[in-house]
Order: sequence, then C-alpha cells, then structure tokens
Amino acid sequence: MMKIKLTKIARAKKFHTFLKLCIYFVLICISYVYLEPILRMISMTLMSTKDVIDPSVDWLPKNPSLSNLKVAGTVLDLKKTLVNSIWFSALLACAQTIVSALTGFALSRYNFKFKKLWIIMIILAFIIPVPLLMIPRLMLFISAQNLLGFNLIGTPIPQILMALLGQGVNSTILILIFYNFFNLIPYSLDEAAMIDGASPWQVFVQIGMKLSASTVLVVFLFSFVWNWNETYITGTLVRNSIELLPAKLNMFDSAFKTYAAAGRGNAEFRINEAYKMSATLLSITPLLILYGFVQKRFIQGIENTGITGE
Amino acid sequence: MAKQKKLLTYHQRQNRQGYRFMLPWIVGFVIFTAIPFVATIYLSFTEVRQTVLGFKITFIGLDNYIMAFFENVEFVPAMLSFLGMIIPYTFVILILSFILAYLLNKITFLKGFLRTIYFLPVIIMSGPVMYQLIDSSSEASRIDTYLKFSDIFIVQMVASYSRKFALLLIGIFDQLSIILWFTGIPIILFINGLQKINPNLYEAAQIDSANSWQILWKITIPIIKPLALVVTIFTIVNLGTFSINPVYGLIKTATENTSGGLGIAATYSWIYSFVVLILIGITFLIFHNKEKGRRQDS
Repeated sequence: MMKIKLTKIARAKKFHTFLKLCIYFVLICISYVYLEPILRMISMTLMSTKDVIDPSVDWLPKNPSLSNLKVAGTVLDLKKTLVNSIWFSALLACAQTIVSALTGFALSRYNFKFKKLWIIMIILAFIIPVPLLMIPRLMLFISAQNLLGFNLIGTPIPQILMALLGQGVNSTILILIFYNFFNLIPYSLDEAAMIDGASPWQVFVQIGMKLSASTVLVVFLFSFVWNWNETYITGTLVRNSIELLPAKLNMFDSAFKTYAAAGRGNAEFRINEAYKMSATLLSITPLLILYGFVQKRFIQGIENTGITGE
Repeated sequence: MAKQKKLLTYHQRQNRQGYRFMLPWIVGFVIFTAIPFVATIYLSFTEVRQTVLGFKITFIGLDNYIMAFFENVEFVPAMLSFLGMIIPYTFVILILSFILAYLLNKITFLKGFLRTIYFLPVIIMSGPVMYQLIDSSSEASRIDTYLKFSDIFIVQMVASYSRKFALLLIGIFDQLSIILWFTGIPIILFINGLQKINPNLYEAAQIDSANSWQILWKITIPIIKPLALVVTIFTIVNLGTFSINPVYGLIKTATENTSGGLGIAATYSWIYSFVVLILIGITFLIFHNKEKGRRQDS
C-alpha cells in the first residue's frame, strides 16, 4: 500500500515539474518576440559602415565600434534634449498622477448624482480620436493667448494645464487603474477613519494614497512613458521651442544631413541604418534604465500591499 | 453656514464630496474635450477653409455624410476593414494576455527577469521601435501568407469548412508578433489583478479537492472579469489610435488638408467615434451581465 502511494506522489511530482518546464519553455519562446528588435538595435549600433553593407554579417559585427553612438548623440544634441525630455515628462506625469488619483477616488468612494454618466464621459474622453480634438484645442489656446497677452503656444503651459485637468495622454486608463485599485480597499477602513473624525481629504491621503503607493508608482511610470513617447500633441502645442528627444528623433534624417554638411565632407559619411538604430537606441535607453530601476520596486510594492477585499 | 452643513443628509454629503474630488477632471473635460467635441459635431456639417485671416466656416448640411458613405470610395471599405481587424485582434489580445499573465504569475524561478521582458512593450509600444516593427512586417509579401500556411493540415481542414475563417486564422497567426506587442499593458493589468486574489481562496478550494483547472474557472476568472472589461476597452482604443488603423489614417490626411478637409475630417471621426462607442457598449453589456450574476450567487 505504502509503495503504491509513494509512486503516485512521485508521478504527480514528475508531472508537476514537467508542467513547470512547459511553462518556462512557452514563456521564454514568446519573450524572444519582444527581445528581438532590441537585440537587433544593439547589434546594428555596434556595426561599422562596412558591416552594414556586408551581407555576411547578420548579428555579430566584424569590427565593432562605438562611433555610431557618438555621432547619433551629437546629432540628437543628447545632453540638452535628454534633460528637457526628463523634466517635461516628469512634470506631466506628476500632474496626471494627482488628478487621476483624485478622480479614481471620487468614483470608487462616493455615490454622487450622474456618476454613471461621468464614467461614460471618462471612457468617451478616451475614445475620441485625438487629431480631431487638437484643432479646436489649438484654436482655444491661440484665442486665450491673444486675450491674456502672453505666449501660450511654444510653452509647456497648455499641456500641463491639460494634464492637470485630467485631459493628458491616456488619462482615462490611469483613472481606471486607480478606480480599480481603490475598489479593492475595504470601505470599512474609510468608515473607521471617518468615525475617528477624519475629513474626506484625510481619508484620501491617509488611506487611499498611503495604501496605493505601488499603484502610484505604476501610474507614474505609465504616464511618464506615454508623455515621453508622445510627439503629436507636443508637436502641435510646444513645437520647436523646447527640444525633446523623441521629436528630435523624428527629424533625425534632416538633422543628420546638416550635421554631416557642417562636419566632415567625405563621401563615406552618409546616413545609414546603423546611425538611425543607434539614435533610436539612445532615445529608449533612458526609459529602459528607469524601467529596470522601478520594476523591482513595483513588483515588491504589489506583493507587500496584501489587501484583498473582504 | 456651519449649521447648514451639519443638516446635510448622507446623500447630499456624498454628492458634494464626490463632486469636490471630481472637479478638476470635470472642468478639464468640459474645456478640453466636450467643447471641442461639440464643435466637431458642428464642423461635421460644414465646410472649413483655412484662410490667412483664420477659419472660414460655411454650413453645408448633410453633404459631408453623403460624401463619406456614398461618394468617397475609401471610407466605407476602411471602416469595414477596421471592424474586421479590431474584433479578432481584441479577442486574441484579451485571451493571450490573460494566459501570459497567468503563466507569469505561476512561476517563481526567473520571475523578475521574465517579467522585465514581458513588460517591455509598455515602454516601447508607442515609441519609434514599433513603427520599425510594423514597417518590416508589412514588407513581407501578403500574398504569400496563404500559401505559406496552406500546407498545414489544420488550416486545410478549416479551409474546407469555411475559407473566410481560415483566412482570418492565418491573418492572426501571421500578425501574431505584432499582436503580442499590444499585450504589454493588458498583461500588467491582469498580473496586478491576479496578485490581489486572496491565496486563502485557492487553499480552501484545494482542500475541497478542486484541481487547478477547476480553480482557474471557478475562482480566478470570475474574480478577474471586471479587469477584463478595462483591458478590452483599452485594447479597442489602443488599436484604434494606432497607425495600423486605416480609418485613423484617413482622418489624419483629411485633417492635414487645409482647403476644406477639416469638415470632412470631423465627419469621419464622428462616425468612427460612434462605431467605437457601440463596440465598447457591447463589451460593457457582456461583462456587466456576468458580473451581476456573480453577485447574486455569492
């Protein structure tokens, strides 16, 4: 009897490890889809001009060099654009995080009139195509600019205002993340705080925000990345007065031409895929670094916040 | 004033406090979204010409709509191909991202490493890398795809039943690498939800001798369902705003056309928004009903 039971358990264990291996196999195979473009970029970055033309070079360059990165860095004006992009995105991300937390909290905690209507409006705000809204918005800002007597277009003010009032990039999804998270916090905590005499604002800060540190991090990360990658709205409202990294990347071809004309005039110095790829790599590296840094905390945060409904 | 405040009923207080928190968003919505949108509805009945002095707007009635549906040969096919793309894509993304999130949640070894990779699309998705990805895949000849897959037995089997369905299936497999890039945020949302599930529930089910398949269907999926609604809405909109959406391209080119294009662009995007709204309404109904059923059960 004992023996049969043991073999059964052993078999179940074997099956279990087999299943785990299958999971790993599937996950690792699929992860290649995500890694391939980045690996390709890194390999292209390291290639010299000769390697790019050489058909026998697929992944590993024959004479690796870092000169592509240097050229791309100067063309992109990396020092300036990087700093600009960071503070610009961070500012917008802060504004978006605050307003979406407030809105998410209101939706999750209070029963006010026309709540369903507002939820529908929040979703509506998400699905209206942005290019269309931008024309009336631009007209609005131009007329406001004429009324106030100082420049709005060309400054970050319009976008910060829009982010602060909850109309930034993908604000809706940030609100819904907060809404979903606040719904998971038991309402009895709020009640306990209110019985102890906490004002709604205190409930929001002390219970809502303190428990949702990981959610705040997630929302901030999302917002930062989306604002970083956003070029359409920024291109319409800020234009060229603040040089941002992704916008500069979009104009890489023309910027490279002026650089090449001003710098060295030899025929070999022409634009190729390797320069473009290194520029692209440079523009996403800050995000990758930020991401690698935050990701650990972000997962830990989720695991530490062990609140699961009642 | 102080006396009045104390006399407020519970509902009045709820109302007031709720609106206090909602206020910034509502103000922003009215100024930056509602008014421009209403302006768009008006513009869709007009012809807008950009002149040196500003915009010259003339009312032309339903002409733009008649043009969109009957005269323009591009709009209706673009709309249909958009629908044909978005419905299967959303379905596949929803299921794939749930499966991936579920698997990522199961493992312990290499957990951080794999998650880091799977969340990469979140960062790269809207960036320049994505355009290159789509560029390179659209270069691969489309005509070959059917031939490439037609050797596979299962595809032949499906094709003998319905050729259209087989083409759809092939399309999905062909585009799988692009579809996978859209799963970044859905996976994050699902993992976030999966980790919030109380482990005691699983334990209780195991003690009651439920196997992992039953646990998945009876515990995990019902709890995760409200999140699936968010994921679906996000996916529909995200796919819609992406450059692979033919309607979006039409709207963009019409917007850039300064001599009378704005009115038509307004018409296009009004019809488009209406269709997307209907799609989202349908998903809302699907998930809402099931949620209600769950509440009655418990």
